[in-house]
Amino acid sequence: MPSPEGAANSNSGYSCQTFSFRAWQPIGQGEPSMPQIVRKSEEQKDAEAEVESFQQNLGPFVIAAETTRMPMVFTDAIEPKHHIIFANDSFLKMTGYAREEVLGQDFTFLLAGNAKAEVLKQIEVEFGNETDGSPEVYLHRKDGSEFWGGVFINPVRDEDGKIVQHFISIFDLTKHKNEQIQSKMLIDELNHRVKNTLSTVQSIVWQALRTFTDPKQLHTSIEARLLALSRSHDLLTRENWKSARLNDIAYDALEPFSVTDGRKERIVIKGEPIRFPPKAALALGIAFNELATNAVKYGAFSNDVGSILIDWAIEPSSGGDRIILRWQEKGGPKVSPPTRQGFGSRMIERGLALELEGTAHLDYAPEGLICTMNFPAPKVTHHG
Amino acid sequence: MLILMMIEDMLADLGCQSVAVASKVGPAISLIEGQEFDMAMLDMNLGGIESYPVADALTARDVPYFFSTGNSLTNTKDGYRNQDVLKKPFTFEQLSNMLSRSLLRIPN
Repeated sequence: MPSPEGAANSNSGYSCQTFSFRAWQPIGQGEPSMPQIVRKSEEQKDAEAEVESFQQNLGPFVIAAETTRMPMVFTDAIEPKHHIIFANDSFLKMTGYAREEVLGQDFTFLLAGNAKAEVLKQIEVEFGNETDGSPEVYLHRKDGSEFWGGVFINPVRDEDGKIVQHFISIFDLTKHKNEQIQSKMLIDELNHRVKNTLSTVQSIVWQALRTFTDPKQLHTSIEARLLALSRSHDLLTRENWKSARLNDIAYDALEPFSVTDGRKERIVIKGEPIRFPPKAALALGIAFNELATNAVKYGAFSNDVGSILIDWAIEPSSGGDRIILRWQEKGGPKVSPPTRQGFGSRMIERGLALELEGTAHLDYAPEGLICTMNFPAPKVTHHG
Repeated sequence: MLILMMIEDMLADLGCQSVAVASKVGPAISLIEGQEFDMAMLDMNLGGIESYPVADALTARDVPYFFSTGNSLTNTKDGYRNQDVLKKPFTFEQLSNMLSRSLLRIPN
C-alpha cells in the first residue's frame, strides 16, 4: 500500500513535505457520501485505506485543512476537469453550499460574470504551472450573490512527480475591493478640495492686488486671509470634513483676535448648536474673519471697551426653518457709513448671502455695526 | 465664496453687465427658464450632483456655455464631450478666451 511520502512514524514529529497519494475521498464523522455511486473497487478500497493511514500519520495537517479559516478545496487532476474532492468548512461557509453540493463539481462552476472564457484560461495556466500567481476571479455563492476571490492553486504530485491533485485556497477579496473603491473616492474628493483651495488662494491674492499697492499692506492682507482659511480647514479636518458647528466656526474665527488686551471677555457667542456643510462653514469663517478685522481697524476692537455679540436663533417659516444670525458691535468709536462699498461689505452682502442662499445686511448704526444674516437652516448630508 | 467673487470681478472687467448665480441644479434651471442669458459658465459638479440637466436646459434655449471643473475629464458623459472646458484654477486670460469662443460659437 503506498504510503504518504515524508510521513514520519508516530514516534518522531511530522514532516511537512509533498505528500503523494492517489485518489482519496474525504471521510469523517457523519460525513455525507459522495454524490456519485461508488462501487467499491480494489482501487476504492486502497484509496480509503490510504486516507485512513494518511489521517493517522498526518492527523494534525488534516485537522488543519479541515478547520482552517482559509477556505480550501482539493481537486482531482487526473480527469481533464477539476472535480472537487474535498472542501473545508470555511469554503462551505464562504460560498453558502453544503458539502454534497460541491463535491464532484468542477471547480470552475464557482465562476461568475461574463468573462468566463478568459478567466478559465487564466485559471488553467495556474493549474498547469507552479506559478506564484493569485488571479482575482469573480465567483458566485449559492444564493447568487457574487464576490471577488483571490485564488491560489497549488499542485500535489505523486512519486513520479506527476500532478494528481490541486489544492486551492480562496481568499475573499470583498473587503479589499471595497477599500480600493473607498480609496479612489477619497482621492477624488481630495483632488476636488485641493483645487478649490488653490482657487480660493488665487482669489485672496487677486482681491489683495486690486485693493492695495503698498507691499506691506498686500502682505498683511494676503497672509491674514490665508491663515484664516487655514484655521477653517483645521476645524473641518477635526470633523473629518463632514460639517462644523456654528459656535465653533465663530469661536475659531475670533480666537486670533481675542488674545490681545483682554478682548476675550469682550466677545459673547450665543445660540443653539447648528451644523453647516463644509462649503458654507468655510464661507462663514472667512466672513467672520472679515468682520473681526474690520472691528479691530475701525470698530469695537479698535478701543479698550468695545464688545462683540454673535447670536443666532432658529425661526420656523412656511418654507422651512430659517436662521437669523447677528453680529453686533457695541462700545466702539461712533460709526458712520462708508463712502463706497469696499470688498468686505460686498463679500458679506453679496458673496456670503449667495453662499448661504439667503440675505446678509450691514447696518452702520452709530452705536456699533450690526450685521444681520437670514438664511434657510443648513442641511448637512453625511456621506462616506 | 471668494472664488465666485473673483469670477464676478473678472466678468465685470470684461464688460459683463450682470451676473446671475445658482449653486444647485434646480435653482439653476429655474433661473435659465426665467430670463434671457447671453451665455453660461457651468461647473460640472453642483453641490455633489452632475450638472448635465442644466447643460440640457441651456441647449434647449440655445444659450452657449462652457464647463468648468477641477477634475480630470475622463468621466465626461457621452454627448457632452464636445463642449469647451475651463480647468480650475484658471487665469483671467483663459476665462476671457473661453468667453469669446462661447459668444462667437466657435466649435470645440
